[in-house]
Amino acid sequence: MTEAAPTAAPSTVRALTCTQCGGTLSLRAAGYTVSLVCEHCGATLDTTDPQLRIIARATTALRRPLIPLGSRGVLRGETWEVVGYLERSDGDGDWSEYLLFNPYQGYGWLIDDGRRFSYGFLLDRLPEMDGTQLVIDNGKSLDFYSGPYPAKVRFVVGEFYWRVAVGERVRVTDYVRPGTIVSCEENDSERTWSRMDLLNWGEAERAFGIQQRHPNTSTPSPQEPSPWRDRLVESLIIGAVAAFTLIVIAIIGSGSTRVASADFEAGLDGATRTVVIHNIDIPAHSSAIRISAQSDQLDNSWVDLDYSLVDRRTQQSFDAYGLAEHYHGSDSDGPWSEGNTRPDVRLSSIPPGSYDLVIELAAHRWVPYTSPDFYNARTVDPNPVPIPVTITVDRGGMFGGNVLLGLILIAIWPGFVFWRHYSFEKRRSGDLDADGDDS
Amino acid sequence: MFMANCPNCGAAISFRSINLPVRVCDYCHSSIVRSDAGLVSTGKVAEVPEDVSPLQIGVRGKDGAHSFELIGRVRWRWTDGGWNEWLALFDDGSTGWIGEAMGRYMLLREVPSTGPGNAVERSLREGKEVILGTEVMINWVKYRVTDVKQAVCAGSEGELPFNTPPGFAMPSVDLMADDGHCASIQKDGDTVQVYAGRYATLAELKPTGLRAFEGWPMPRFAA
Repeated sequence: MTEAAPTAAPSTVRALTCTQCGGTLSLRAAGYTVSLVCEHCGATLDTTDPQLRIIARATTALRRPLIPLGSRGVLRGETWEVVGYLERSDGDGDWSEYLLFNPYQGYGWLIDDGRRFSYGFLLDRLPEMDGTQLVIDNGKSLDFYSGPYPAKVRFVVGEFYWRVAVGERVRVTDYVRPGTIVSCEENDSERTWSRMDLLNWGEAERAFGIQQRHPNTSTPSPQEPSPWRDRLVESLIIGAVAAFTLIVIAIIGSGSTRVASADFEAGLDGATRTVVIHNIDIPAHSSAIRISAQSDQLDNSWVDLDYSLVDRRTQQSFDAYGLAEHYHGSDSDGPWSEGNTRPDVRLSSIPPGSYDLVIELAAHRWVPYTSPDFYNARTVDPNPVPIPVTITVDRGGMFGGNVLLGLILIAIWPGFVFWRHYSFEKRRSGDLDADGDDS
Repeated sequence: MFMANCPNCGAAISFRSINLPVRVCDYCHSSIVRSDAGLVSTGKVAEVPEDVSPLQIGVRGKDGAHSFELIGRVRWRWTDGGWNEWLALFDDGSTGWIGEAMGRYMLLREVPSTGPGNAVERSLREGKEVILGTEVMINWVKYRVTDVKQAVCAGSEGELPFNTPPGFAMPSVDLMADDGHCASIQKDGDTVQVYAGRYATLAELKPTGLRAFEGWPMPRFAA
């Protein structure tokens, strides 16, 4: 067996001299590289020819890639060297592609859409079509996104394993799923499939030592996962739990307890009467009070109900006003009636304690403005017709309005996140030429 | 292993396989052919141009349960590029090829002639043009022709099943299946050879003894 002598490992980089300009060039993937575009003069050299025949002279002004040729970086655990750089355009937008090489890994791609970087590889298995979806070898399915659209090479420098040329055109069809885009590129003799995984913000910049880009989601890439998606799911779960809890509490808490009920009489157009319901106990856990009045014998008349719930110990008073009324008549539209004879008032946040409910009752006859009596001074009837009024006090129960307000508050965050997610998705899947942004 | 001396330069040469007829001398690059009359030098062949392939003669690897060792290489060139074909000697004495192009690997074994039903084989035999996209069945797998090119030998080394005189050239047809299988059909003189196999990553070949390069860490799978 012949073991290799322990000589120094050879370098993968070979120095060449450009046939066109005489500049010194590095050949970084000898044996694989077919075309080398001189970084000094832009001439395309044939590296399969020992004479480095010039295939094409520069047709475009030289540009410097953001990541210089020969840069090395570690991307997701693999060391890569930048050996080639292409700029391509689909007519609507431009993007850059770095050809990455590692002698043990072969080739990879770093794609820069100007905003974010993706990490690309050729697929060595053809994807399968399942309806309109594409299924790649790991079983993941992708949705059709766009194409076929033409893509053209606008600028090229460095070395490539094929006959690269400015103006080279392919037809591209894209399929997407969050985080990944699979592209089919075809020309008349070849069809290749590649997969591009969106890199996290800063990953490529850190790997190749270029300036960090600031995250922005204003014009997302087609395969970009919505940054709001996880938060949306989270907020919907939290929101649903909160809403459910609130409703359960509302249902449990709505079992109200009758505290007191008493019948009184108001004098129609008589003097205001003051009546009292004594000893209303409000325990610590129930602070909501509902005072209901019922006066079914009103006839074109009303009862003013002034309530004062007075703490027997502190004399602190909680005041409320109720109005029981009933009117009827007839006009050009026919007979009518209106008014609520059973008004409810609610008091919330009543501290626990023992209370008296003081009620001032004043019943009045309604005089239409069409009546001559309308202009007569009202007088207090010394012998008024009695109007029965039943006052009922309940404690506990939820205020529907509060429950609704609670639900609205709970919905604010999920709603906001949904709106952000939705607008992101709309921008992501947006018509490619909708913004007309051709920089 | 069988040791001998190069009939041209006298250097020691080794034969790992007892079946292969050709050995390229590591020192003088003479092609030495084994025959009943003994070892005969048939003249010099081109030295393989320097490349950055991680493979080299002596690399060991595995194809499933079978282990192999690389014992020879042919470097092919065509108008738009080149590739290596490494001859692998398996532990059962059989041989296969590891094709290496664009940093990707194909593990191929010769299959017996698939007969006149194979349109590509027929076209090659009859000297007709092979059409891209032609479909053929090889060992119950459906392949499509993806590339047709004229391959010119750019250099060779080690032990080989055929001689590679200067200017040695042959038509070569690449085929691909949907499921990662690939095949190659070549015509050498009057014989058409069919090779079928699959794409493999370098890691899948479980290689040891890979070539080291300055500044590049040896991958974990080759440790």
